[in-house]
Amino acid sequence: MTDGIGNPRDLALSGAAAPAAPAADTSPALDTPRTRGDGPAIPLGGDATLDRHTRIALLKEERAIARRFEGGKMWIYPAAAFTCYAIWLSFFPLAIMGWLNLPLAFVLSTVFAVGGYVTSHEAMHSNIARHGTKWRWLNEWTGKVSTIIIVFPFSMARLMHLEHHYHCNHPEKDPDYPDRANGPWHAIYKTWLNRQPGVDGSIHIYKRILAEMGTREAADALKDTVRLQLIFMAVLFAMAWSGYAIEAALIWWLPRHIGLSYIRFYLSWAPHHPREDQGRYGNTRLFKSRLGQIGSIGMETHLVHHLYPSIPNHRTKEAYYALRPILEKRGVHCPEI
Amino acid sequence: MQSAVQALFKIMPFLFGIGFIAPLIAQTMAYWGWSPPLGLSPIGFGLLIGGPWGLYATVRGRWI
Repeated sequence: MTDGIGNPRDLALSGAAAPAAPAADTSPALDTPRTRGDGPAIPLGGDATLDRHTRIALLKEERAIARRFEGGKMWIYPAAAFTCYAIWLSFFPLAIMGWLNLPLAFVLSTVFAVGGYVTSHEAMHSNIARHGTKWRWLNEWTGKVSTIIIVFPFSMARLMHLEHHYHCNHPEKDPDYPDRANGPWHAIYKTWLNRQPGVDGSIHIYKRILAEMGTREAADALKDTVRLQLIFMAVLFAMAWSGYAIEAALIWWLPRHIGLSYIRFYLSWAPHHPREDQGRYGNTRLFKSRLGQIGSIGMETHLVHHLYPSIPNHRTKEAYYALRPILEKRGVHCPEI
Repeated sequence: MQSAVQALFKIMPFLFGIGFIAPLIAQTMAYWGWSPPLGLSPIGFGLLIGGPWGLYATVRGRWI
Protein backbone atom coordinates (compact mmCIF):
# COMPACT_ATOMS: atom_id res chain seq x y z
CA MET A 1 0.00 0.00 0.00
CA THR A 2 1.48 3.33 -1.00
CA ASP A 3 0.35 6.85 -1.55
CA GLY A 4 -0.06 5.85 -5.16
CA ILE A 5 3.26 7.25 -6.25
CA GLY A 6 5.05 4.08 -7.29
CA ASN A 7 6.23 0.63 -6.44
CA PRO A 8 8.47 0.76 -3.38
CA ARG A 9 10.40 -2.32 -4.51
CA ASP A 10 11.43 -0.72 -7.80
CA LEU A 11 12.37 2.52 -6.14
CA ALA A 12 14.44 0.84 -3.45
CA LEU A 13 16.23 -1.21 -6.11
CA SER A 14 17.25 1.89 -7.96
CA GLY A 15 18.54 3.36 -4.75
CA ALA A 16 15.82 6.00 -4.75
CA ALA A 17 13.51 6.55 -1.86
CA ALA A 18 10.55 4.29 -1.39
CA PRO A 19 7.23 6.10 -1.26
CA ALA A 20 5.30 6.42 1.90
CA ALA A 21 2.94 3.80 3.14
CA PRO A 22 0.20 5.12 5.40
CA ALA A 23 1.70 3.49 8.41
CA ALA A 24 -0.30 2.45 11.41
CA ASP A 25 2.15 4.34 13.57
CA THR A 26 2.10 3.31 17.17
CA SER A 27 4.86 5.64 18.25
CA PRO A 28 4.58 6.82 21.85
CA ALA A 29 4.76 10.34 20.47
CA LEU A 30 1.18 9.96 19.29
CA ASP A 31 -0.06 9.81 22.86
CA THR A 32 1.84 12.89 23.90
CA PRO A 33 0.12 16.29 23.57
CA ARG A 34 2.05 18.46 21.12
CA THR A 35 3.65 21.39 22.90
CA ARG A 36 6.15 22.66 20.33
CA GLY A 37 5.43 26.08 18.98
CA ASP A 38 5.96 25.02 15.39
CA GLY A 39 3.22 22.39 15.45
CA PRO A 40 0.38 22.51 12.95
CA ALA A 41 -2.66 24.73 13.62
CA ILE A 42 -4.91 21.70 13.40
CA PRO A 43 -3.35 18.94 15.53
CA LEU A 44 -2.25 16.01 13.38
CA GLY A 45 -2.13 12.95 15.52
CA GLY A 46 0.20 11.01 13.27
CA ASP A 47 0.43 9.34 9.91
CA ALA A 48 -2.64 7.14 10.32
CA THR A 49 -4.86 10.12 11.02
CA LEU A 50 -3.48 12.48 8.37
CA ASP A 51 -5.68 12.97 5.35
CA ARG A 52 -4.37 11.96 1.95
CA HIS A 53 -3.71 15.52 0.81
CA THR A 54 -1.62 16.29 3.91
CA ARG A 55 0.33 13.07 3.56
CA ILE A 56 1.21 13.77 -0.07
CA ALA A 57 2.16 17.38 0.73
CA LEU A 58 4.39 16.22 3.57
CA LEU A 59 5.95 13.55 1.38
CA LYS A 60 6.78 16.07 -1.33
CA GLU A 61 8.33 18.38 1.24
CA GLU A 62 10.22 15.46 2.79
CA ARG A 63 11.61 14.38 -0.58
CA ALA A 64 12.70 17.90 -1.48
CA ILE A 65 14.67 18.13 1.78
CA ALA A 66 16.12 14.63 1.43
CA ARG A 67 17.36 15.32 -2.09
CA ARG A 68 19.71 17.98 -0.69
CA PHE A 69 21.61 15.29 1.23
CA GLU A 70 22.02 12.69 -1.50
CA GLY A 71 25.53 12.12 -2.82
CA GLY A 72 28.44 14.20 -1.57
CA LYS A 73 32.00 13.08 -0.95
CA MET A 74 31.39 9.47 -1.95
CA TRP A 75 35.05 8.87 -2.84
CA ILE A 76 35.73 8.38 0.87
CA TYR A 77 34.00 4.98 0.78
CA PRO A 78 36.10 3.31 -1.95
CA ALA A 79 39.23 5.02 -0.61
CA ALA A 80 38.56 3.64 2.88
CA ALA A 81 37.55 0.20 1.56
CA PHE A 82 40.62 -0.34 -0.63
CA THR A 83 43.07 1.14 1.90
CA CYS A 84 41.75 -0.98 4.77
CA TYR A 85 41.64 -4.10 2.60
CA ALA A 86 45.24 -3.59 1.47
CA ILE A 87 46.41 -3.04 5.04
CA TRP A 88 44.51 -6.11 6.22
CA LEU A 89 45.93 -8.29 3.42
CA SER A 90 49.45 -7.13 4.30
CA PHE A 91 48.95 -8.48 7.82
CA PHE A 92 49.24 -12.07 6.56
CA PRO A 93 52.76 -11.95 5.08
CA LEU A 94 53.88 -9.59 7.85
CA ALA A 95 52.62 -12.04 10.48
CA ILE A 96 54.37 -14.96 8.81
CA MET A 97 57.61 -12.97 8.66
CA GLY A 98 57.19 -12.04 12.31
CA TRP A 99 57.08 -8.31 11.59
CA LEU A 100 53.57 -7.68 12.85
CA ASN A 101 52.33 -6.28 16.15
CA LEU A 102 49.58 -8.86 16.58
CA PRO A 103 47.46 -7.08 19.23
CA LEU A 104 47.41 -3.95 17.05
CA ALA A 105 46.62 -6.02 13.95
CA PHE A 106 43.78 -7.70 15.83
CA VAL A 107 42.23 -4.35 16.83
CA LEU A 108 42.62 -2.93 13.32
CA SER A 109 41.22 -6.07 11.67
CA THR A 110 38.17 -5.88 13.92
CA VAL A 111 37.66 -2.21 13.03
CA PHE A 112 38.06 -3.07 9.34
CA ALA A 113 35.54 -5.90 9.67
CA VAL A 114 32.90 -3.52 11.06
CA GLY A 115 33.82 -0.57 8.86
CA GLY A 116 33.83 -2.79 5.80
CA TYR A 117 30.13 -3.35 6.16
CA VAL A 118 29.56 0.41 6.11
CA THR A 119 31.49 0.89 2.87
CA SER A 120 29.84 -2.14 1.27
CA HIS A 121 26.48 -0.83 2.39
CA GLU A 122 26.89 2.28 0.27
CA ALA A 123 27.76 0.03 -2.68
CA MET A 124 24.69 -2.13 -2.01
CA HIS A 125 22.54 0.94 -2.64
CA SER A 126 24.65 1.96 -5.65
CA ASN A 127 25.46 5.20 -3.88
CA ILE A 128 29.05 5.24 -5.13
CA ALA A 129 28.06 4.85 -8.79
CA ARG A 130 24.77 3.90 -10.42
CA HIS A 131 24.17 1.25 -13.09
CA GLY A 132 25.48 2.30 -16.48
CA THR A 133 27.75 5.04 -15.22
CA LYS A 134 31.50 5.34 -15.79
CA TRP A 135 32.45 4.50 -12.21
CA ARG A 136 30.07 1.57 -11.76
CA TRP A 137 33.00 -0.89 -11.50
CA LEU A 138 34.27 1.08 -8.52
CA ASN A 139 30.92 0.69 -6.80
CA GLU A 140 30.99 -3.07 -7.35
CA TRP A 141 34.61 -3.58 -6.29
CA THR A 142 34.16 -1.42 -3.23
CA GLY A 143 31.36 -3.73 -2.19
CA LYS A 144 33.32 -6.86 -3.02
CA VAL A 145 36.50 -6.08 -1.10
CA SER A 146 34.65 -4.61 1.88
CA THR A 147 32.91 -7.75 3.10
CA ILE A 148 35.70 -10.28 2.59
CA ILE A 149 36.87 -9.97 6.21
CA ILE A 150 33.44 -10.93 7.51
CA VAL A 151 33.20 -13.75 4.93
CA PHE A 152 29.92 -12.41 3.60
CA PRO A 153 30.14 -11.99 -0.18
CA PHE A 154 28.87 -8.73 -1.59
CA SER A 155 26.41 -10.47 -3.92
CA MET A 156 24.71 -12.15 -0.96
CA ALA A 157 24.98 -9.10 1.28
CA ARG A 158 23.34 -6.86 -1.32
CA LEU A 159 20.47 -9.23 -2.09
CA MET A 160 19.70 -9.80 1.57
CA HIS A 161 20.01 -6.13 2.46
CA LEU A 162 17.62 -5.07 -0.28
CA GLU A 163 15.18 -7.76 0.85
CA HIS A 164 15.47 -6.28 4.34
CA HIS A 165 14.47 -2.90 2.92
CA TYR A 166 11.53 -4.32 0.97
CA HIS A 167 10.16 -6.35 3.88
CA CYS A 168 11.51 -4.58 6.93
CA ASN A 169 10.41 -6.37 10.15
CA HIS A 170 8.34 -8.97 8.31
CA PRO A 171 8.76 -12.21 10.33
CA GLU A 172 9.08 -14.42 7.24
CA LYS A 173 10.51 -12.14 4.58
CA ASP A 174 12.96 -9.86 6.37
CA PRO A 175 16.33 -11.69 6.36
CA ASP A 176 17.36 -9.73 9.47
CA TYR A 177 14.31 -10.77 11.47
CA PRO A 178 16.24 -13.51 13.39
CA ASP A 179 18.08 -10.65 15.14
CA ARG A 180 14.87 -9.75 16.99
CA ALA A 181 15.53 -9.77 20.74
CA ASN A 182 13.95 -8.57 23.98
CA GLY A 183 16.83 -6.35 25.03
CA PRO A 184 20.50 -5.57 24.44
CA TRP A 185 21.91 -8.60 26.28
CA HIS A 186 19.49 -10.90 24.55
CA ALA A 187 20.46 -9.26 21.25
CA ILE A 188 24.16 -9.91 21.89
CA TYR A 189 23.34 -13.53 22.71
CA LYS A 190 21.31 -13.80 19.48
CA THR A 191 24.25 -12.54 17.41
CA TRP A 192 26.15 -15.63 18.62
CA LEU A 193 23.21 -18.03 18.54
CA ASN A 194 22.25 -17.20 14.95
CA ARG A 195 25.72 -18.18 13.75
CA GLN A 196 25.59 -21.66 15.27
CA PRO A 197 25.67 -24.40 12.62
CA GLY A 198 22.42 -26.13 13.52
CA VAL A 199 20.33 -23.14 14.63
CA ASP A 200 17.68 -21.77 12.27
CA GLY A 201 19.56 -18.48 12.16
CA SER A 202 20.69 -16.04 9.54
CA ILE A 203 22.25 -18.33 6.92
CA HIS A 204 19.27 -20.70 6.93
CA ILE A 205 16.88 -17.78 6.47
CA TYR A 206 19.09 -16.46 3.67
CA LYS A 207 19.05 -19.82 1.91
CA ARG A 208 15.27 -20.04 2.16
CA ILE A 209 14.81 -16.52 0.82
CA LEU A 210 17.27 -17.16 -2.03
CA ALA A 211 15.38 -20.35 -2.94
CA GLU A 212 12.11 -18.40 -2.97
CA MET A 213 13.66 -15.72 -5.18
CA GLY A 214 14.79 -18.40 -7.64
CA THR A 215 16.75 -15.93 -9.76
CA ARG A 216 20.18 -16.28 -11.32
CA GLU A 217 21.47 -13.59 -8.96
CA ALA A 218 20.22 -15.62 -6.00
CA ALA A 219 21.96 -18.79 -7.25
CA ASP A 220 25.18 -16.84 -7.88
CA ALA A 221 25.03 -15.30 -4.41
CA LEU A 222 24.77 -18.74 -2.84
CA LYS A 223 27.73 -20.00 -4.91
CA ASP A 224 29.79 -16.94 -3.93
CA THR A 225 28.99 -17.65 -0.28
CA VAL A 226 30.09 -21.28 -0.56
CA ARG A 227 33.31 -20.26 -2.35
CA LEU A 228 34.22 -17.55 0.16
CA GLN A 229 33.50 -19.80 3.14
CA LEU A 230 35.66 -22.57 1.66
CA ILE A 231 38.49 -20.10 1.03
CA PHE A 232 38.14 -18.83 4.60
CA MET A 233 38.36 -22.34 6.01
CA ALA A 234 41.23 -23.31 3.70
CA VAL A 235 43.26 -20.25 4.79
CA LEU A 236 42.56 -20.88 8.48
CA PHE A 237 43.44 -24.59 8.23
CA ALA A 238 46.56 -24.00 6.16
CA MET A 239 47.85 -21.25 8.45
CA ALA A 240 47.01 -23.23 11.57
CA TRP A 241 48.79 -26.40 10.46
CA SER A 242 51.77 -24.33 9.28
CA GLY A 243 52.26 -22.96 12.77
CA TYR A 244 50.34 -19.69 12.42
CA ALA A 245 47.08 -20.54 14.18
CA ILE A 246 47.28 -17.62 16.62
CA GLU A 247 48.02 -15.22 13.78
CA ALA A 248 45.07 -16.56 11.75
CA ALA A 249 42.81 -16.30 14.78
CA LEU A 250 43.79 -12.71 15.53
CA ILE A 251 43.83 -11.42 11.96
CA TRP A 252 40.72 -13.08 10.56
CA TRP A 253 38.78 -15.55 12.71
CA LEU A 254 38.17 -13.44 15.84
CA PRO A 255 37.80 -10.07 14.04
CA ARG A 256 35.19 -11.68 11.82
CA HIS A 257 33.15 -12.97 14.76
CA ILE A 258 33.44 -9.80 16.82
CA GLY A 259 32.70 -7.71 13.73
CA LEU A 260 29.62 -9.75 12.81
CA SER A 261 28.26 -9.49 16.34
CA TYR A 262 28.85 -5.72 16.39
CA ILE A 263 27.23 -5.34 12.97
CA ARG A 264 24.25 -7.49 13.93
CA PHE A 265 23.78 -5.60 17.18
CA TYR A 266 24.16 -2.07 15.87
CA LEU A 267 23.03 -2.33 12.28
CA SER A 268 20.18 -4.75 12.78
CA TRP A 269 18.91 -5.05 16.33
CA ALA A 270 19.37 -1.53 17.74
CA PRO A 271 17.67 0.52 14.99
CA HIS A 272 14.79 -1.92 14.45
CA HIS A 273 13.99 -2.95 17.99
CA PRO A 274 11.29 -4.14 18.83
CA ARG A 275 10.59 -5.15 15.20
CA GLU A 276 6.84 -4.92 15.56
CA ASP A 277 6.04 -2.15 13.09
CA GLN A 278 6.37 -2.66 9.36
CA GLY A 279 5.27 0.84 8.37
CA ARG A 280 7.52 3.32 6.59
CA TYR A 281 7.86 5.61 9.60
CA GLY A 282 7.69 2.98 12.31
CA ASN A 283 9.91 0.13 11.11
CA THR A 284 13.08 1.89 12.27
CA ARG A 285 13.62 3.89 15.44
CA LEU A 286 15.69 6.94 16.18
CA PHE A 287 17.78 6.59 19.32
CA LYS A 288 20.65 8.08 21.24
CA SER A 289 23.56 5.65 21.48
CA ARG A 290 26.05 5.61 24.34
CA LEU A 291 28.76 5.13 21.74
CA GLY A 292 27.63 8.13 19.71
CA GLN A 293 27.01 8.38 15.99
CA ILE A 294 30.44 7.01 14.98
CA GLY A 295 30.48 4.22 17.59
CA SER A 296 27.01 3.14 16.51
CA ILE A 297 28.12 3.32 12.85
CA GLY A 298 25.55 6.01 12.09
CA MET A 299 22.64 3.88 13.28
CA GLU A 300 21.15 6.53 15.59
CA THR A 301 19.56 8.04 12.49
CA HIS A 302 18.98 4.81 10.58
CA LEU A 303 15.37 5.83 9.93
CA VAL A 304 16.70 8.41 7.48
CA HIS A 305 18.48 5.63 5.60
CA HIS A 306 15.33 3.54 5.38
CA LEU A 307 13.37 6.52 4.13
CA TYR A 308 16.08 7.64 1.70
CA PRO A 309 18.76 4.98 0.98
CA SER A 310 20.48 7.38 -1.42
CA ILE A 311 21.57 9.57 1.48
CA PRO A 312 25.04 8.29 2.42
CA ASN A 313 25.76 7.10 5.93
CA HIS A 314 27.89 10.12 6.86
CA ARG A 315 25.07 12.56 6.03
CA THR A 316 22.11 10.89 7.75
CA LYS A 317 22.47 12.87 10.98
CA GLU A 318 22.55 16.16 9.12
CA ALA A 319 19.57 15.01 7.06
CA TYR A 320 17.74 13.94 10.21
CA TYR A 321 17.78 17.42 11.67
CA ALA A 322 16.56 18.87 8.39
CA LEU A 323 13.77 16.28 8.15
CA ARG A 324 12.88 16.38 11.83
CA PRO A 325 9.96 18.84 11.62
CA ILE A 326 8.30 16.71 8.93
CA LEU A 327 8.94 13.49 10.81
CA GLU A 328 7.37 15.00 13.91
CA LYS A 329 4.31 15.94 11.92
CA ARG A 330 4.17 12.31 10.86
CA GLY A 331 4.10 11.31 14.51
CA VAL A 332 7.65 9.95 14.62
CA HIS A 333 9.40 10.16 18.00
CA CYS A 334 12.39 12.39 17.27
CA PRO A 335 14.93 12.52 20.12
CA GLU A 336 17.96 14.78 20.38
CA ILE A 337 20.88 12.86 18.87
CA MET B 1 29.29 -31.69 -6.84
CA GLN B 2 26.46 -29.98 -5.00
CA SER B 3 25.86 -32.96 -2.72
CA ALA B 4 29.60 -33.23 -2.01
CA VAL B 5 29.71 -29.56 -0.97
CA GLN B 6 26.60 -30.02 1.17
CA ALA B 7 28.20 -33.04 2.87
CA LEU B 8 31.38 -31.06 3.43
CA PHE B 9 29.48 -28.20 5.09
CA LYS B 10 27.52 -30.65 7.20
CA ILE B 11 30.73 -31.93 8.81
CA MET B 12 32.45 -28.53 8.73
CA PRO B 13 32.30 -28.04 12.53
CA PHE B 14 34.21 -31.32 12.98
CA LEU B 15 36.73 -30.32 10.31
CA PHE B 16 37.06 -26.93 12.00
CA GLY B 17 37.72 -28.70 15.30
CA ILE B 18 40.64 -30.68 13.95
CA GLY B 19 41.70 -28.24 11.24
CA PHE B 20 41.83 -25.06 13.29
CA ILE B 21 40.92 -25.45 16.96
CA ALA B 22 43.40 -28.29 17.56
CA PRO B 23 46.49 -26.44 16.26
CA LEU B 24 45.24 -23.22 17.86
CA ILE B 25 45.11 -24.95 21.26
CA ALA B 26 48.54 -26.49 20.71
CA GLN B 27 50.16 -23.22 19.65
CA THR B 28 48.45 -21.22 22.40
CA MET B 29 49.77 -23.69 24.99
CA ALA B 30 53.25 -23.43 23.52
CA TYR B 31 53.03 -19.62 23.54
CA TRP B 32 52.11 -19.52 27.24
CA GLY B 33 54.53 -22.33 28.11
CA TRP B 34 51.84 -24.73 29.30
CA SER B 35 52.52 -28.46 29.22
CA PRO B 36 49.78 -30.84 28.16
CA PRO B 37 48.67 -33.42 30.75
CA LEU B 38 49.25 -37.20 30.59
CA GLY B 39 52.45 -36.81 28.62
CA LEU B 40 50.54 -35.82 25.49
CA SER B 41 52.11 -33.70 22.79
CA PRO B 42 50.57 -30.22 22.39
CA ILE B 43 48.97 -31.13 19.06
CA GLY B 44 47.77 -34.44 20.51
CA PHE B 45 46.10 -32.55 23.32
CA GLY B 46 44.69 -30.06 20.81
CA LEU B 47 43.19 -32.87 18.75
CA LEU B 48 41.79 -34.48 21.89
CA ILE B 49 39.88 -31.26 22.62
CA GLY B 50 39.22 -29.96 19.10
CA GLY B 51 38.07 -33.25 17.55
CA PRO B 52 35.34 -34.16 20.07
CA TRP B 53 34.31 -30.50 20.39
CA GLY B 54 33.87 -30.23 16.63
CA LEU B 55 32.02 -33.53 16.61
CA TYR B 56 29.72 -32.26 19.36
CA ALA B 57 29.04 -29.09 17.33
CA THR B 58 28.33 -31.17 14.22
CA VAL B 59 25.86 -33.42 16.03
CA ARG B 60 24.29 -30.89 18.38
CA GLY B 61 24.32 -27.92 16.00
CA ARG B 62 25.91 -25.62 18.58
CA TRP B 63 29.41 -25.10 19.86
CA ILE B 64 28.25 -24.65 23.44
